[in-house]
Amino acid sequence: MVIVAAMVAATVALPALAADLEAGRRKSEPCARCHGDGGNATVPGTPSLAGQPAWFTHWALVKFRDGRRKDPMMSPVAANLSDADMADLAAYYATLPPRPRPQTLDAAKAAAGQRLAVSHHCTSCHRPDLGGQHQVPRLAGQDLDYLLRLLRAYRAGTAGDLEGLMTLAAQPLSDADIENLAHYIAGLTPAP
Amino acid sequence: MRRITLTSLALALGVVLALAPLVLAQQPPPAWKQGQSPELADSPLAPVPLPPTPTPAKDIPVDKIKLPPGFTISVWADGLHNARQMAWGTRGTLFVGTRVAGSVYAVVDRGDRREVKVIAKGLAQPSGVAFKDGALYVAEIPRLLKYENIEASLDNPPAPKVVYEFPKDAHHNWRFLLWGPDGKLYFNMGAPCNICMPPDTHANISRVNPDGTGFEYYARGVRNSTGADFHPVTKELYFVSHGRDWMGDEIPNDTLHHAPRPGFHFGYPYCHQGDIVDPDFGRGRSCSEFAPPLLKLGPHVAPIGFRFYTGSLFPPQYRNVAFSAQKGSWNRTVKIGYRVMTVELKPGQPPKYEVFADGFHQGDKVLGRPTHIEWMPDGSMLLSDDYHGAIYHITYRR
Repeated sequence: MVIVAAMVAATVALPALAADLEAGRRKSEPCARCHGDGGNATVPGTPSLAGQPAWFTHWALVKFRDGRRKDPMMSPVAANLSDADMADLAAYYATLPPRPRPQTLDAAKAAAGQRLAVSHHCTSCHRPDLGGQHQVPRLAGQDLDYLLRLLRAYRAGTAGDLEGLMTLAAQPLSDADIENLAHYIAGLTPAP
Repeated sequence: MRRITLTSLALALGVVLALAPLVLAQQPPPAWKQGQSPELADSPLAPVPLPPTPTPAKDIPVDKIKLPPGFTISVWADGLHNARQMAWGTRGTLFVGTRVAGSVYAVVDRGDRREVKVIAKGLAQPSGVAFKDGALYVAEIPRLLKYENIEASLDNPPAPKVVYEFPKDAHHNWRFLLWGPDGKLYFNMGAPCNICMPPDTHANISRVNPDGTGFEYYARGVRNSTGADFHPVTKELYFVSHGRDWMGDEIPNDTLHHAPRPGFHFGYPYCHQGDIVDPDFGRGRSCSEFAPPLLKLGPHVAPIGFRFYTGSLFPPQYRNVAFSAQKGSWNRTVKIGYRVMTVELKPGQPPKYEVFADGFHQGDKVLGRPTHIEWMPDGSMLLSDDYHGAIYHITYRR
């Protein structure tokens, strides 16, 4: 807990763009069809946005808009968003409480995944509870299919990595490693 | 006999492979954490996260910046997300590279305001820009791109030509571009790590002809240089470089180097700041084997842009003085850097190193990150800030 507090204190980031939470709530209405009520998605393959660090959601939208990240649903949506839209949406989703997703997970895979999360240093950037920070996403309790898809995309170099850190981290992962990690991460209870 | 040895080796290998799934191989940590000793594993220090959007001019705390008497600073242009190196086109367009924003901008001065156009987006850390003969050169991580006749087509930029392909490693390979007095294009190829034995292709400053031919290494043993310039009188190369991380708050210093001709080795990974042998990679080596730095710039200050002043607007004592923009530390418990320094070089004398612009942080709070320097036609300074995505104008009035 001391460590977590210190990590936050190491750099105090200024808000780059003042966000409007009420505008974010309004702008998020069309997003709910896939990303769920309150940002907790239930559609397999679709990530939950509730409780994501605001800079992560905002950066993801920036990458969809400039084409570094591609998705048949998200690319056209992000193409029409302004910086202010993105800031409002990201700030709004960051305030919502994340809930565990109903999904069937394999305990043996999750146990193997827990060891992999240590040996592959996931917590170095995603924090000890995999709750994310700054531009780094919360992973705990995320959708299994989404985690599988993203880890495979990072390994293939097609996930639109900002600085190449996840692309490098994913290179040594085998297909089985990705399965195991995803089952572990998806089963973690997201901290409120 | 030989056959038996091989058989036993194969057997031994078989046993090892059979056991392998029980023991997980520890993987390399993320690049910024690499080289950290075990007792620092819980260190809260981490690179400064960069905002996903530029800061509007009205919210940039430019009033906090302190300058010598007579100098003033203002926001010249905003909306340039993550702005890094700048280069002028011959028709007065300012081109601006970025790192994590992935974009290249063109700024057109409309007198009372600056119009910002996006001329490329979705590139891989296109930090380096240079201009020659009507063409914009952009260095992204894997490629050197050339946009011909760019100033005639800012609203509809041509598809770039790939002039040269760099190594693809991302870490420390966001580049500067610099024209040499020989007409060649100089750039950095940083170490793909914090501390490691770099491959031959990395940890250097190199040059190519404008058409991408004639690649040559110029300086070796350079960990991560992000700024360089040729002296206005001697035409010799000076460059700054970032020292390694996780050796402590006070060491090693980031450094200024002088490379009057090709072929020098500046020490990395064996020797840091000219007098510290690396605890792992320096065993059996001596710092006397390598070209020492000209000046220690301070530990972890993170020097980026480095430019000599050749204008006549600033007071005469600034003529041929170098300016070093330092985006500031992350690998230090108390922040340092976040400033612009001057370096005065006089033959036979130690360099004179002084603060020029200060105040880009307050304690742990980042108020901005000065990165690259460009000169206005009247001799005033443009200074990019990759945190706020803005360009400052620093001018002087008697």
